[in-house]
Amino acid sequence: MILTALANGSQHGYGIITDVREISGGRVRLRAGTLYSALDRLRAEELIRVDREEVVDGRLRRYYRLTPAGTKRLAAEAARLQAAAAAALTRLNLAGGMAT
Amino acid sequence: MTDQADLERGYRRLLAWYPPEFRRENGQEILAVLMAGARDGQRRPGLAESADLIRSGLWMRLHPSVPRSARTVRAAVRLMYAGGAASAAELVIGLTLIIGDIQVAAHGQFLGHSLAAQKPLVITVWIVFGLAGTSLWLWMARANGQGRNWARIVSTVMFALNTLALGGAFTRPVSHPGFGVTVLYFGSIVLFVAGWLVGGAAVWLLWRPGSDAFFNPPGSTQALHQWHMAELDRLRSSRARSPRRV
Repeated sequence: MILTALANGSQHGYGIITDVREISGGRVRLRAGTLYSALDRLRAEELIRVDREEVVDGRLRRYYRLTPAGTKRLAAEAARLQAAAAAALTRLNLAGGMAT
Repeated sequence: MTDQADLERGYRRLLAWYPPEFRRENGQEILAVLMAGARDGQRRPGLAESADLIRSGLWMRLHPSVPRSARTVRAAVRLMYAGGAASAAELVIGLTLIIGDIQVAAHGQFLGHSLAAQKPLVITVWIVFGLAGTSLWLWMARANGQGRNWARIVSTVMFALNTLALGGAFTRPVSHPGFGVTVLYFGSIVLFVAGWLVGGAAVWLLWRPGSDAFFNPPGSTQALHQWHMAELDRLRSSRARSPRRV
């Protein structure tokens, strides 16, 4: 989810939270604690890195972006999900012929 | 305004659950995100977000994430966590065997010289040593994962002491042991040697050349010097590549 939020450019922490909420249609509401431990882990895995830092209203704002390894991982994950969804749809079609 | 100050103080208090280095690097940023997500007029951190901050902070304290680039340290830390898990398993399995043996003795099916007479002592010693061993593994995994150089040295010293104790592990404690004690005796020798091998592998990994950069704190003069030299090299090479303007 976080990787998806970073797929079309760099984002800062709060931007990721709002983006994830949007992508999930409001179902996933990331909390700051969860987000930052995930960002820390993704940084250690070298899937994301800090793009740039800005100071807004006297506070530090860090923008994160995907690394090439992160892009690759996201693409692989998306392909896997797509294959699973395609398999589910095919079977539904075969079983009932109700999916259009 | 005072509402905001109260809220910020509340969040700052919760951020104390995080490891100090992480807080220094990310504290301001997390605070900004928390403040941006707050409702109008909110004076205190909500229950769910407090729980989330405490949980994440504790997790990061217990389980530091080692960068992928420090491959050898990552492997060493994993080995140490595995050592901790094995040590905890040894504690539990050993305890059931000791208690089982004592119960068999108590029911009159006496299988040789059992531990019944020294029951409380044996159980206490086993628990104390088991807990100490498990905590040492976990403590070393955590401290090494955080890049503490003293942890690397302490781990090495402990491995050396463990090597000295290796000889002692082969002495037979009881002349006619019961079933539980026999299993415990041979089992503990196997586990001790396995633990020693795991510890040895971890210590070896910690002293590999690839691990050194991770244990040099960024504030240390040596690391700073290395960084300056690298930066100079980078500048020089970029200047050499781009044609000089006249």
